[in-house]
Amino acid sequence: MTNKQKQISAIASESRRNFVRGLSSIVGTTIANTLLSGNSLSVAMTYSLTSPSIESESLSAGKVFSLEQLKLLKNICAIVIPKTNTLGAAEVNTHGFIDNQLFHCYEPFTQEKMKRLLTLIDNVTQEKFSSLFTDIKKNQQFQLLTELDTGKGNFEASQQADFKVLKQLICFGYYTSEVGASKELRYLAVPGVYQGSIPYNDSEPNWGSKGLHY
Amino acid sequence: MSENLYIESTKEVYDAIVIGSGISGGWAAKEFCERGLKTLMIERGRVVEHKKDYIGENKAPWQQPYRTKVNNLLVKEQHQIQQQCYAFTDATKHFFGNDKDLPYTTTKETNFTWIRANQLGGKSLLWHRQSYRLGEYDFNANKNDGYGNDWPIRTRDIDKWYSHVEKHAGISGSLDNLENLPDGEFLPPFEMNSPEKALQAKFAKLYPDRPLIIGRTAHLTKPTQLHFSQGRVQCQARNECQAGCSFGGYFSTQSSTLPAAAATNNLHIAPNSVVHSLIYDERTNRLKGVRVIDNDDLSPREYFAKVVFLCASTIGSTQILMNSTSKKFPRGLANSSGVLGHYLMDHNYNAAASGDIEGFEDEVDRGRRPTGLIIPNFYFKPDAKRGFLRGYALAGQAYREGWQSLQHQDGLGVEYKNKLKQAGKWRFGLFAQGEMLPRFENQMRLHPSLTDKWGIPQIEFDCRFSDNETNMMIDAAEQAEKMLKAVGLKNVSSRVMSNPPGLAIHELGTARMGRDPKTSILNAFNQSHDIPNLFVTDGASFCSSAVQNPSLTIMALTARAVNFCIKEMNAKRI
Repeated sequence: MTNKQKQISAIASESRRNFVRGLSSIVGTTIANTLLSGNSLSVAMTYSLTSPSIESESLSAGKVFSLEQLKLLKNICAIVIPKTNTLGAAEVNTHGFIDNQLFHCYEPFTQEKMKRLLTLIDNVTQEKFSSLFTDIKKNQQFQLLTELDTGKGNFEASQQADFKVLKQLICFGYYTSEVGASKELRYLAVPGVYQGSIPYNDSEPNWGSKGLHY
Repeated sequence: MSENLYIESTKEVYDAIVIGSGISGGWAAKEFCERGLKTLMIERGRVVEHKKDYIGENKAPWQQPYRTKVNNLLVKEQHQIQQQCYAFTDATKHFFGNDKDLPYTTTKETNFTWIRANQLGGKSLLWHRQSYRLGEYDFNANKNDGYGNDWPIRTRDIDKWYSHVEKHAGISGSLDNLENLPDGEFLPPFEMNSPEKALQAKFAKLYPDRPLIIGRTAHLTKPTQLHFSQGRVQCQARNECQAGCSFGGYFSTQSSTLPAAAATNNLHIAPNSVVHSLIYDERTNRLKGVRVIDNDDLSPREYFAKVVFLCASTIGSTQILMNSTSKKFPRGLANSSGVLGHYLMDHNYNAAASGDIEGFEDEVDRGRRPTGLIIPNFYFKPDAKRGFLRGYALAGQAYREGWQSLQHQDGLGVEYKNKLKQAGKWRFGLFAQGEMLPRFENQMRLHPSLTDKWGIPQIEFDCRFSDNETNMMIDAAEQAEKMLKAVGLKNVSSRVMSNPPGLAIHELGTARMGRDPKTSILNAFNQSHDIPNLFVTDGASFCSSAVQNPSLTIMALTARAVNFCIKEMNAKRI
């Protein structure tokens, strides 16, 4: 075991003890112990230990996108959901997620549509700036994607619609990542009880653990 | 009996064979075992051990390879039909059937979605857990308008059995004192959130005959000693039920009836045993046992018992009867009436309405409530002016929008990210659950030539919604929209859809009960009119679909039938 693994394992067993202690106070020790053999507790205790794949500088070609397309997509991810006081979409490898998700869970029709969209973005950038999208200034990138997002300027409605699909993929990738769901938003694996009403104000994050299941 | 719960070959003649291990099979086994009868439960699929085999349970989306989605290849190869179910996700997919091995056909211009859960526990692992009693108007419905045959029972016949199963299963709900939705033995109801409470008050004022109540659901909001003894604890409000629940927070065979049955030492389970047909002795007019085909190696074997309970699901049980023929029963065992396979029903979910709720911005709810709200059927009294027969319930809930809704707005960057971080507006929606008339022409039958890998004839469906169901859904959409506007919602919209039957997964009525052996398969105790030691206690026995979710009634009918069967056995009539 590396030091890090030991640390993680210590945290896991400590959390597990706390969890079981909490559970025992609700249901009694015997039942709490019989529950230990279940998946719910072991998984409840380990889920937070899995790290997302944090950005690696050495991108390689994906299953759907070429290396150049992935670099462009990563750049778009960073613009749509940037780093704030939490990591953004690019930092949690949403571009890599999208490539994998498109390959495994979408039809070739959608894969091709997304590839065409990336080509479009590059082509329009070439026309306007004689440069690659990834090489123009940040405010120019933002301006260009805003036009695409609103179907204005150089873009028409069908292209806007395709970009909305890409935005959905970015949002899904980001808000189902550990950072998106549990750091940017609040994630409750085991709420324990349903409460119909608790106070809320706009400075608090919404739940990242809702709407993912049924 | 032997110390092993699971068996393969045995020469033992059991007191009872129960075919199926879902909601009805689990109840039949529990009741027989607790009354001291040696019982064999036959399950066509694999063993699913409580807790251990809930492999998708409590996995956060980022721990799943496709973040809750299922990959295309697997869907295409194995789950083209099953994926239509709302509960089909990466965490639950292993509890759905493999469509490649489970082919069926539909007649021209009809369609039927058949959802399968062929493993120990069956659909009790996957169900939506809504639990409602039928009322007196429901039992009288067929008699009143002449569609279908009269139910041979009324609430007085089944009420104590509803109580019996509710106490064991654990049903949460509020006492609402409604004319046609009888209250039960409830655990405390789940809380409503504030907008729901406000809507409830408005409905009470504007529509006193259309109350908005909390859904009644088979979850332990406050477990009793009986539930603790089953190894279950309080529902943890995860609402990830269909992945399996190691807390036993909701009722399933694994969490509730199986531990009770196994504790008696009277239970054996034969898994991986696909029932081919029933073994019938024409001389004594009794069943002797069942023929099964091994799920894996396709070898045949037989099991024997004094009585047989068919609890293999509406379509499964009827398929077995149809595939069991004799000189006396050339059209299928127990089918002297000829109605076997007919009067197939489901529920109709083809109408919905939704809108925005203003206000309540300074609160959210916490946790994931495993039930919504319902407006029970308000058309339970027949009225010729309505333009259609029977009625519907409306179900829904209030929720605050999250990133799933907010992502569609224009915007990029920090401002966009910060908007998606916040809770959005409150929304409320209603969808209809409509009754489907029992009609002779809606049916399932054995395909004349196609068989499955076990050599059993495939099912062919010939089933469609009629104008009555369509007119009902048009009304449901109109009424829901009108009511949501009246109680103050904004941006209200409604829609009528045209999904075929099946997807409500409430298939019912292909071996119906009745007083007359000439027009029904089963008597008032789910016993075959023709063969005294044969019972069918799943949804096949229903005379009408009513509006309510059928599972609680299936539980009560099953427990009642076992009680009757044991009396008949003791009296030597079986």
